[in-house]
Amino acid sequence: MSAFCSRASLPFTLSAALAYTITLTANALAAPVDFSRDIQPILSDNCYHCHGPDAASRKSGLRLDLHSEALAGGKSGLATIVAGKPDDSELIARIFSHDSEEVMPSSESNKTLTAAQKDLLRRWVAEGAAWGEHWAYVAPSRPSVPTLSSSAAPIANPIDAFILARLAAEKITPSPAADRSTLIRRVSFDLTGLPPTLAETNTFLNDSHPDAYAHLVERLLASPHYGERWARPWLDVARYSDSNGYSIDAPRQMWKYRDWVVSALNQDMPYKEFVIEQLAGDLIPQPTTAQKIATGFNRNTQINQEGGIDPEQFRIEAVMDRVATFGSTFLGLTVNCAQCHDHKFDPIPQKDYYRLFAFFNNTVDDGHGEGVPGGRLSFASENGPADTFVADIAQVRADLAQFLEPYAAQYPAWRAQTTPESRAKLRQNIGTALTLPWEKQTLNQRRAVFLTFGGENAKFTALHEKLAVLEKHEAKATTTLIMAELPQPRESVVFIKGDFTRAGEKVTPGTPGILPPLPATPGRQPNRLDLARWLFEPAHPLTARVMVNRIWQQYFGLGLVETENDYGSQGAPPTHPELLDWLATEFAAQNWSMKAIHRLIVTSATYQRASVARPDLDLADPLNKLLGRQNRLRLDAELVRDVALSASGLLVPKLGGPPVFPPQPDGVMTLGQNRRAWVASTGADRHRRALYTHHWRATPHPAIAVFDAPDGFSACTRRLRSDTPLQALTLLNDLQFFEFAGALAARIQSEGGNNDSTRLDYAFRLCVARPPSAAERTRLIDLLRQLQTPASNSTAEPTATPLEAWTTLARVLLNLDETITRA
Amino acid sequence: MTPQTNSDSAQPFDPASRRHFFSRCAMGLGGIALASMLDRSRLSAAPAPASGPLADPMAPKSPHFSPRAKKVIYLFMAGGPSQLELFDYKPRLISLNGQPVPESLIAGKRFAFMDSSHGTKLLGTRRAFAQHGESGAWVSDLFPHTAGIVDDITLVKSCAADLFNHAPAKLFMNTGSGQFGRPSMGSWITYGLGSESQNLPGFVVLQSGPRGPRGGAVNWGTGFLPTTYQGVPFRGNGDPILNLANPKGITATRQRQAIDAIRDLNLQHAVATGDAEIHTRIAAYEMASRMQSSAPELVDISGESEATLKLYGIEKDKPSFARNCLLARRLVERGSRFIQLYHTNWDSHGGPGENLEVDFVARCREVDQAQAALVTDLKQRGLLKDTLVVWGGEFGRTPMGENRDTTGRNHHIDAFTMWFAGGGTKAGTIIGETDELGFNSVTDRAHVHDLHATILHLLGLDHKKLTFRFQGRDFRLTDVHGNVIQKLLA
Repeated sequence: MSAFCSRASLPFTLSAALAYTITLTANALAAPVDFSRDIQPILSDNCYHCHGPDAASRKSGLRLDLHSEALAGGKSGLATIVAGKPDDSELIARIFSHDSEEVMPSSESNKTLTAAQKDLLRRWVAEGAAWGEHWAYVAPSRPSVPTLSSSAAPIANPIDAFILARLAAEKITPSPAADRSTLIRRVSFDLTGLPPTLAETNTFLNDSHPDAYAHLVERLLASPHYGERWARPWLDVARYSDSNGYSIDAPRQMWKYRDWVVSALNQDMPYKEFVIEQLAGDLIPQPTTAQKIATGFNRNTQINQEGGIDPEQFRIEAVMDRVATFGSTFLGLTVNCAQCHDHKFDPIPQKDYYRLFAFFNNTVDDGHGEGVPGGRLSFASENGPADTFVADIAQVRADLAQFLEPYAAQYPAWRAQTTPESRAKLRQNIGTALTLPWEKQTLNQRRAVFLTFGGENAKFTALHEKLAVLEKHEAKATTTLIMAELPQPRESVVFIKGDFTRAGEKVTPGTPGILPPLPATPGRQPNRLDLARWLFEPAHPLTARVMVNRIWQQYFGLGLVETENDYGSQGAPPTHPELLDWLATEFAAQNWSMKAIHRLIVTSATYQRASVARPDLDLADPLNKLLGRQNRLRLDAELVRDVALSASGLLVPKLGGPPVFPPQPDGVMTLGQNRRAWVASTGADRHRRALYTHHWRATPHPAIAVFDAPDGFSACTRRLRSDTPLQALTLLNDLQFFEFAGALAARIQSEGGNNDSTRLDYAFRLCVARPPSAAERTRLIDLLRQLQTPASNSTAEPTATPLEAWTTLARVLLNLDETITRA
Repeated sequence: MTPQTNSDSAQPFDPASRRHFFSRCAMGLGGIALASMLDRSRLSAAPAPASGPLADPMAPKSPHFSPRAKKVIYLFMAGGPSQLELFDYKPRLISLNGQPVPESLIAGKRFAFMDSSHGTKLLGTRRAFAQHGESGAWVSDLFPHTAGIVDDITLVKSCAADLFNHAPAKLFMNTGSGQFGRPSMGSWITYGLGSESQNLPGFVVLQSGPRGPRGGAVNWGTGFLPTTYQGVPFRGNGDPILNLANPKGITATRQRQAIDAIRDLNLQHAVATGDAEIHTRIAAYEMASRMQSSAPELVDISGESEATLKLYGIEKDKPSFARNCLLARRLVERGSRFIQLYHTNWDSHGGPGENLEVDFVARCREVDQAQAALVTDLKQRGLLKDTLVVWGGEFGRTPMGENRDTTGRNHHIDAFTMWFAGGGTKAGTIIGETDELGFNSVTDRAHVHDLHATILHLLGLDHKKLTFRFQGRDFRLTDVHGNVIQKLLA
């Protein structure tokens, strides 16, 4: 499944959401019933399961997701919907029925309609049962920007006009702009993932130029840290990891791909190229090395190296993961729901799923994911050009395998020379090899067998030694996994019930029927490159909306479409449909510049509003979906580390390179099946941004995992934010955070002036970019006094040294909710 | 006042009450109570947010109907123990030892490692079996202690799973799906019921054996549920919970001083911003602080009697499955909801380190006495009636031998044995039978989804109603399957 990291909100938030829905419904009572907004969600939620797109589970032949079929009615021959005549409509009769056999939804379905929902359906039929196509399948057209008659609130750009128009309709006054120190901290985190330095804050606070904020935004957009900040959500959808996953979870090298993402973002590569190169860089004529590296996007699938597996099963799992990722990342559709059957809610037949599958089914990687020729690029050095090393070693391996093949016949005789006891004494490799029949042995096991029993053989020796030299190099070589097409595409079929052992009908590559057609490819089958380009067809309804919405949700916590990975009929309708479409069309008009969208959003007045809660807004719009104010958002996992590193002055801002190993508590690595070493980096690599921390899928770094970083198993389109005691223990006690506190204390003492008051000020501003309030100052001075005054009773704490006292103070500051929150 | 509070925006409180509040909050915990009162009075006018500012997602919640069990201890035998060496006595298989397996049994089936040459000859057990207790359950000589509690447990000999490789099968047993990203059973249950402990996690994972279970943290992960419901692994050595101990050189007093200051400043900021989420964070710090004292108390078993240690077979200061069983009892006593013990290396293919003669026997010795002691101990303390104990692996083993260095057995998903005790299960019962070779179930097939439905049922949860909406769909532990195994209920 895709996007599973996306944890939905806590139950109490859900009930709040429910209350909200009811409020809006009440508001909607006066207006005519709108099919997409009011009716389709009810039908989808309650009826489609038995009367929807899935032919196999459809009951009574009735289908309510298509207009013509709904009008035609089911097998009963009764008129399901008679426009304008609810009393003649079977649909209405059944939902209002008091007969438990008759009433719909049926008791088996575990669904019930509320009185309000029933009334809506009745009113809809009475008003003529107007039908509409689901909004997300219709290409966005450029809406006109609302003109506001008189607005006291500033309008910085069209975003504000759309937001203010809706607020005005709901009679909500927007909050004023945030103060400047909040603003610089907010926009610095949002554009670079780092807090502002004191100098940067001072410059901004003292810059009275009207363009001060615009200049700040330009500086941040030009910062190389912009690429690091915005790479992270993209790596979430790309399910990036530095290990293979499943049970063995061996390390893999993929960091060249991660660096490609950072660099592409920093160059503001248009989203169109950004996507095409990742989906199909290898198929672009004469691809560059960088374009090949980009295809690592689809090699971030897990690889199962467990013994006894059927490699084909796990090759197919990887292809299915690519389809699911394609669906949630680019289409915002849960196409993976059609893996085993027709989609239950959206018009995606199972065959459409396998037509998408067919695009991804033709690459060289196998289920073992070993160094198959063509599936990996190697580099002469970390920053050097690509070389042929991977191809070379693959060739020698193939030659050696061919040489050894005929010795199968002699193997039983060789094996007979040993006994279980004598085998136990042999070196492990050969000992293990001899427990296995020839056909189960790996190349290295056969090689060990030949070395032991094969005698002198010049050809073997030459191949063996050549391979040994290359292998020595292999462990150190810089490589990255890439997509590479087979010369002959595999045949793709529908798998019956999603089971890869049950081949059904043959399929050819194609896109879902509900979406615009793929341009013709005369004389050849369409391939991944055609698929990637199709996403950017002018008529495509989803690509731009899905991406601008994911960018938007980073800035406000929720997207304009809250269900950022489901634009189908079960998804939430957009809160501001016109704004979504305006942004989507603007994205294309700006040549798919992501920086242009970032600039638009952060320079809007909507973005710059204060995030302080307001009782009146809590009442009118408890989830702040209408954006009368900004939202306070806990920093993402990586930034929780980065803010502490920055405040302490330890941050090493180096960009890119192989993953690093900042310290973690002992024992974490024993939680996986294979115990792997975690040798903590020393020197500069100890203090790099969390983006560069080596990610093990089975045993992720606990300080990252505990703050809701995704696990890298499948595409994550949104992180949610939990708030747990384990997070508190991490910030309070983790070795690294204690180290940061110590460094911050030393920094306060050396740079913060000579008295407690200036030092407090300095420390506070390093962490939250503002000086403490009087009450905060009093509380912290109290703490310092407490720590440094000998207590009267005999069991009292020894008096803290100044460094100890300031370390405690630094720990307090690094643990503050405000420090790990973007206000 | 902080710069965040813009003077133009609506004020949550008048400045006078805030000053009053600050002076109180410097005095400590009273401040929290006050703040929460203030906040509640503010929110009382607003019907929308259903939660108070200090709403705890782990607070105990009512089940759907009256529960039989309130806690679960799940003894997970990672790797798949052989039912044919322990519970499923098959004289016919013994008499056919060495014969080729009837083609009719394996046609169309897929096995791990079975694509070639490990052999498909039937393997009769070499263990001695006897009937025990009033139920007359067959148990082999490898489980003498477990044989002594057969009248307290229910054996289900007809368990069935879908997936035959370790990592996906373990996921399947834990989450009801072989795909990554679904919540584990412990997460579902703590999501549904909360926890009765205010000092310890609601969902705890304990591990023993030479390595972690395959797949690692996903086995106790929350999938799309909030991470609050994630299993917290306790460690056998050092701090029971990661980062539980204060940093080196920080005394309890100094830690308390720091946490108090964090709380007071967070509280001030909660007032300044009106953000209820800050109250959740304050509560999380208080829980963390309580865990710092209650978790070491939990793992300190020095207060347990010599008789108890002997009952479990615990060697002092040595991490073991036995010690984890005792900790599980102590967790149940302290209100944790779901405790999962993993004991690894049950995989018995016959190769080095995984043969049925030595390694499997050692695994049995490691668990037998302690698992029986756990049931006995819970019973004598009156805890067994509302604590459900579950025992089993991710699958069982084949009736055919697998020829490696020695003859072992392959993974088998069509019929294997699990057992249950307490928590409203029917003691002294045997459910399900397999055919004469132990290959398939012939009665009462109990699929993993059925086991899940039954466990939830015992806890008072309807598996069809315990749902969470994600990607537009209501997800369940049992997906669209599962029937409660009525015979298992007392």
